[in-house]
Amino acid sequence: MSSSEISSQPDWNAYDDDRFRSEVRAFFETAYPEELRYPAFFLSWSKTQHWYRKLYAQGWAAPAWPREWGGMGLDGAKMLIFMEEQERHGIGRTPDQGITLLGPLLIRYASEEQKRQFLPPTLSGEYLWCQGYSEPNAGSDLASLRTEAVIDGDEYVINGSKIWTSYAMDATHMFILVRTDKSAKKQEGISFLLLRMDSPGITVRPIRNLLGSEHFAQVFFDNVRTPVAWRIGKPNQGWTMAKALLGFERVSAGSPKVAQNGLRRLEAVAARLGLMEDAGFRDRYLQLKLDIADLASVYDRFAELVKRGGTPGPDVSMLKILATETYQRLTELTLEAAGNAGALHGKVDIAGAPLDILSPFYMSRPFTIAAGSSEVQRNILAKNVLQLP
Amino acid sequence: MSQEDTNQMLRDAVGGFAARDTSIARVRALRETDPGFDRAVWKKIADAGWTGILVPEKFGGAGLSLPEMAAVLEEFAKTLSPEPLNAVSSLAALTLSGGDNEALQARLLPQIAAGDLIAAVAWQESESGIDPAAIETTAKEAAGGYALSGSKRFAVPFGADAYLVSAKGQGGVIVACVDKSAKGLTVDSELRADGTRVARLKLDNVQVAKADIVASAGAGARALGQAIDQTTILAGAELLGVMSRALEITLDYMRTRVQFDRPIGSFQALQHRAVDLFIQKELSFSVLRDAHIHLAQDADALALWASRVKSRCSEAGMRIGRESIQIHGGIGFTDECDIGLYLKRAMVLSAWLGNGAVHRRRYAALAPALEAA
Repeated sequence: MSSSEISSQPDWNAYDDDRFRSEVRAFFETAYPEELRYPAFFLSWSKTQHWYRKLYAQGWAAPAWPREWGGMGLDGAKMLIFMEEQERHGIGRTPDQGITLLGPLLIRYASEEQKRQFLPPTLSGEYLWCQGYSEPNAGSDLASLRTEAVIDGDEYVINGSKIWTSYAMDATHMFILVRTDKSAKKQEGISFLLLRMDSPGITVRPIRNLLGSEHFAQVFFDNVRTPVAWRIGKPNQGWTMAKALLGFERVSAGSPKVAQNGLRRLEAVAARLGLMEDAGFRDRYLQLKLDIADLASVYDRFAELVKRGGTPGPDVSMLKILATETYQRLTELTLEAAGNAGALHGKVDIAGAPLDILSPFYMSRPFTIAAGSSEVQRNILAKNVLQLP
Repeated sequence: MSQEDTNQMLRDAVGGFAARDTSIARVRALRETDPGFDRAVWKKIADAGWTGILVPEKFGGAGLSLPEMAAVLEEFAKTLSPEPLNAVSSLAALTLSGGDNEALQARLLPQIAAGDLIAAVAWQESESGIDPAAIETTAKEAAGGYALSGSKRFAVPFGADAYLVSAKGQGGVIVACVDKSAKGLTVDSELRADGTRVARLKLDNVQVAKADIVASAGAGARALGQAIDQTTILAGAELLGVMSRALEITLDYMRTRVQFDRPIGSFQALQHRAVDLFIQKELSFSVLRDAHIHLAQDADALALWASRVKSRCSEAGMRIGRESIQIHGGIGFTDECDIGLYLKRAMVLSAWLGNGAVHRRRYAALAPALEAA
């Protein structure tokens, strides 16, 4: 599909916030499949591609991309509203890393030819991307990555392994950080490459997670070749490019909506089991309810900064800590509230209602691990905000 | 001038006061004295205009609102000064101006603004009640006024010139202005953790003329409720000031104190602890900021925001105070080390007007259900 087949987008940023919000909400409410709302686990492409095609036809597949590349061209303010409405309606993630992570990087750093080559098929869903950053020995310490790419003619030859690769089984392509200069300081010898997942020498080994599903994988590279023309940016500049796009992600990752949805689930369980009469439970529930309300107050501070066109400083790390740790505690109290049913798998009978207690508990675990663990975020705050030695 | 500019100017002015007119040595010297604060310093505070921030202009005040008073109180609280600025210039002044006796307002509010009258609101009777209507003290109609009988606790400050006393009359709660030397009034003090004092009142058939009724039965509960909730938000601002300064002191200590040949601030266990304290401070700041934003648009939500602010700021203030002691180690447990003074002020402010747990429960009763999914 070419970008001329999708409906052309108005200047959304000229809309007032309430009108934009109600248009987005109305579309989600009519177009999103009811059975996929508030998914308890990651959905595979086979479950979500129908929804993705609807988004694409509407011209809304890439809200943050500029309109010239088929996006909605939303500024920070409108983008936050779009994401808030997604979360409010419980819209599940598609394999969206090409849209959310790779797209903005290509738009900023790729050549015109690379943009023409990669952006349209990414938007249409023809190219599904996975991210190759973490390695078995480069997790929180990502800059110590060792997967290596050596130039041979007009191709890079890649050897090594990536891990925690979400959507690796669905993906047609991967964007990857590789070491291209072993003599440089560890952050400075890294390049950013694209490659096809059907290239000879790639082995994908799915990893079964605590939910029992195979959402991510380990990917092995044995003399995998990709064109030098598929490198984005200059050689050895990959780390800088990948880091430059983290700020906005940290604000949106701090949205209180996920926790607010979880609070409704806890309230449903507690009401069914008569726990609101239990003073001990009630106080812990109230602590969490206030924590979530106050998280929203912190989120609003950063959201307003983004809306005014500002870039959050390192203090935005506190937002990720608060949002993810508060949500985790909420899933823990829900589990405890469910009593014996808190150890039952899948949708279980809670006083007559079928509710999934365990999946949110499991799903919330990687939130404090991925994209900079809570401990790494605290290190950042200690050094860069509190100025501790 | 924008509100931000006004607030910054006010903050700078308090900074000048802090450098010139008070010190930790003064704060230490006043501990456990009677009445526990300095009237000469109170006069300087009044000359700076802070006692009249919330007093309407027609009664000699500045006629400003909560955000300006919050800015002053946050900075003022960092100095740990024992002068009862929030209790007198917010709680008493707002109770008076929320009442329905304009002649009394015209008589007393200019004196409060000028620093000539220190009035304490006596509205609490039990250890943790924060409902101004749940009281036992009675007001019986008597010749030309009322006769008050009952007892009050936790009135701030001890040593006030007059007490604004709540009582149950026919048809509702009234508030009466009782002079400290009124016949039938006994005032004792209870010593608080930080060395300041609260008043404990016994009223035995105390006669109050109609002219001294701050709020009649139709207006008393509402006037008190509003004044208490606004003062509660401002107590949150005071707690934010205390916790901010305590955290600064603790971070300075972590940068300079050397053990195992390294500054203790380089140890990750302590770094992460300090980060969690910082996050509590930022939560407190954010809720207060949000309260000001929302109350400017919807004053009806005052009680809800008061409870949100107080439960966060009380718990955060206490936690930062306690953990600051831990991070300081042995020296933190000594009276000679200043950090303990901040913990104690945080304890006093946390308990005053309802602690975190009390406000958590009230929030539950007031909070709207979450927007339906």
